[in-house]
Amino acid sequence: MKYGELSIRFCGIAGDGIVSSGKILAAACAGIGLQVMVNDIYSAEIRGSGKSTTTVRFAADKVHSMGDGIDLLVGMAAKESIAEVKDVKHDGTVIYDSGTPGDIEEESSLAAHIPPEIHGCCIPLERLANEASGTNRGRNLVAVGALCFIYSLPPDMFINQIKAVFSRKGEKIVETNIKAFRLGYLYCEEHYPLNHEFEIKEGAEPRRLISGNEALHKGALDCGLHFFAGYPITPATKIMELAAKELPKLDGWCIQVEDEIAAISAVVGASFAGKRAMTATSGPGLCLMSEMINLAVMAEIPAVIVNVQRGGPSTGLPTKVEQGDLNIALYGASGDSPRVVMAPTDSEDCYSGIQLALDLAEKYQTPVIFLSDLFLGQRYETADIKEEIDRRRCTRKKPTPEQLEDYLRYRVTDDGVSPLIVPGERGAIYTITGLEHTVKGTPNYEAEVHTIMTAKRHRKFESMKSELPRADILGDKDAQIGIAGWGSTIGAILEGMGIARKQGVKSKLIKSIMIHPQHESSFREFFASCKRIIVPEMNYQGQYAALLKTRYCIEPIEIHIPAVDPVSPGKISEKIMEAHHELSK
Amino acid sequence: MKYVIIGSGAAGVNAAEIIKKNDSKGEVVIFGDERFFPYNRYQLTDFLCDSIQQEELFYISPEFFKNIGVEFRKGQYVKAINPEKKSIRLFHNEVVYYDRLLIATGGRPWLGPVLLPYKKHIRRYYSLKDICVLKKKLPHIRKCIVFGEGLSSLDLLCGLNKSGKEVTYIVKGVKPEWPLVDPELCEELCQLQKKEGIKIITEDRITTIEKEGKHFRVLTLKQRELTADIVFAWDNYKPKISCIKGTGIEKKTGILVNEHLETSVEGIYAAGDCVEIYHPGLKNYWINYGWPNAIEQGEIAGLNMTGQEKTYQVHETIEFNLMGKSLKARWWK
Repeated sequence: MKYGELSIRFCGIAGDGIVSSGKILAAACAGIGLQVMVNDIYSAEIRGSGKSTTTVRFAADKVHSMGDGIDLLVGMAAKESIAEVKDVKHDGTVIYDSGTPGDIEEESSLAAHIPPEIHGCCIPLERLANEASGTNRGRNLVAVGALCFIYSLPPDMFINQIKAVFSRKGEKIVETNIKAFRLGYLYCEEHYPLNHEFEIKEGAEPRRLISGNEALHKGALDCGLHFFAGYPITPATKIMELAAKELPKLDGWCIQVEDEIAAISAVVGASFAGKRAMTATSGPGLCLMSEMINLAVMAEIPAVIVNVQRGGPSTGLPTKVEQGDLNIALYGASGDSPRVVMAPTDSEDCYSGIQLALDLAEKYQTPVIFLSDLFLGQRYETADIKEEIDRRRCTRKKPTPEQLEDYLRYRVTDDGVSPLIVPGERGAIYTITGLEHTVKGTPNYEAEVHTIMTAKRHRKFESMKSELPRADILGDKDAQIGIAGWGSTIGAILEGMGIARKQGVKSKLIKSIMIHPQHESSFREFFASCKRIIVPEMNYQGQYAALLKTRYCIEPIEIHIPAVDPVSPGKISEKIMEAHHELSK
Repeated sequence: MKYVIIGSGAAGVNAAEIIKKNDSKGEVVIFGDERFFPYNRYQLTDFLCDSIQQEELFYISPEFFKNIGVEFRKGQYVKAINPEKKSIRLFHNEVVYYDRLLIATGGRPWLGPVLLPYKKHIRRYYSLKDICVLKKKLPHIRKCIVFGEGLSSLDLLCGLNKSGKEVTYIVKGVKPEWPLVDPELCEELCQLQKKEGIKIITEDRITTIEKEGKHFRVLTLKQRELTADIVFAWDNYKPKISCIKGTGIEKKTGILVNEHLETSVEGIYAAGDCVEIYHPGLKNYWINYGWPNAIEQGEIAGLNMTGQEKTYQVHETIEFNLMGKSLKARWWK
């Protein structure tokens, strides 16, 4: 059987080397030029030995999502892996350990849950690991060796990767790990000649693996980020960890503060002092930040708030994905409080999108909420990121010398953007406040002033709209079925469209990193060209659909998936097919 | 009632179906140590020679077990039976309990003490897995050596010959003989093989196999030195009954059963190539190899396991195909 793409899942508990197995497989595939996406899922509890899984999907062509189902399950821990068997495709394979000591009851046995349409490979992982290293460490590499044989992958791609990963631990560790890999390979060669073959195109260039969080961090640094403040929270912590490591090298600052309120306060303060500043959090942190974000709206201070969304409400599901924070990002404030909301769709978008976010914040003196999510932030994927140091495209609007003579911090302008200088500079003596204020910044509660200032704050967004690029239209331009998606769901939508296309049904997608404001004419024209509109998203309420309905007066078919796992392309294609059948009636 | 069947060959599958028909509420679990759905073993050579596709080997559909309500666990090897606890232990240490147990593990070619040290150089020709491996290697093979008696050697010789390979067949006797085949027919087969270009060496046996580069150097008892790209060898074909070790189930070469196919341990039955049954004509126990026998024994064992009382009746002949010719062998005399 020949494979053009494969999805392989490792499942086990802490200490089984689940994540490192996934990393070795992913890096090995990227190293020979394959397109890869990796998704880790682990339990929320920090202590103990919770279940964790890593799924690696790879193909010669771009991988947009984790796809539907898996081809191979490597069950490092039997009991924990049982629930994963349902995801194994028909004719797929499950690797399980034959060397588990003691009695195993039927209900705890992975083998007992493998239906006959799936192949079971019973491999003495522990015994072979012991043979290689004298301990049971290395079971994961025995399994990697086994899967290498099962799918006729070139062993060198793994051996090179094992050397790269373990070389800093010394030659002996490298040798034992390679031995474990080889034993797994040889065991399968003898016992499981499955005749599977993954087709590899020769001569492809190695690719780079990067996570959404890493790309976002890198993008921010390359765009002149100077200050980061944060408080650790899953799944955003990685951004702060990277900032703590890298920002000081660029004479920047990264501080870990006592909570999210302090983090956004520090960011607003740093920005007030003239620095490009950013924080990163998740849903519960965004709730705490809402008051200071509102201050930034009122005081017109640039700030970028990254929200790597997870399941909610409240503490919710710390290690599961959901797109449930759109409403709080758009509306989570008192008063008429406009803010920019953006949502990247993949790692490349994270890199370039955060730069646009920083630029928009600076240019329009506004908070920008950047809605990534757990799946996008934590997954690794091969991405074509063209790095360029200092990609700042705009700076703050400065007052002219004449304006500085009689400096008005909130001068009313055509585009709503007032000249801004750092307090303490010559002539820059002004008040900022959360209270409504005059053009000088002095508190004032008169209706006329409030009307003028509210209009000014909103006018910035009208100005911004005029410089936004058109939204991307992907798929078949002449299709009657249109899909509007946002964030990481876009990947599954693209693949769902591909599945439907194979069944002869055309569809198209409108995709924009901008949620608010948007290039509205792009959307209006797109919706006008569709007979059916589908809006899939990972939340219960249909938050994006509600926005589009209000903004564009459309009546879409909504797909609400309160997700714990990334959206499946199969679900999207089902809806496309349903819409097609309705149209065909 | 929970019925556990070890072995997913003809006997095991038929027993499972019969049990479910007669006890629809009973839970039936069947364990097969191969990673395939049940297949026609006698067509493996046709598959090797590309006369049929792999899918054509499977005589039941993938949904068969689901449809009849039987749990089929393939690729799972039973390593031990505990009659006291009425349980079996699988290779991966899972323990499964039963009320009635059927052992239908079949037989397989065995290597004796002379050949065993060279196991890694010897290619098996018995299961679909063996054939899958062989099919990959076949295009790179020119010279083959076959040593071993039994009907499967006939099948193998036929397959290799049909694939255009240069075949040397070594036998211990003065001429090739196959069990259950009449001497006249053996002679006819021998002439046929010679005519087809198979080189036959008699009154000799392999004693040593050494790897030399990509080839094998084979030494025989009579100081012959042969080379080959692949070596097939076995000493005999025996029941595969290692799982009954320590159970107290009576055995000789195979598991001894009565005419109801029940073993010496109550509640444990056996059927197919792994059993020895009393032959009134021979006045001794006798292994009745073969597909039709396995099917019938499976059915009878299944019925008896559900509480009925059926007796196994012996058969006189079996038909098989060789090089396009239909042959009949006598089983009982």
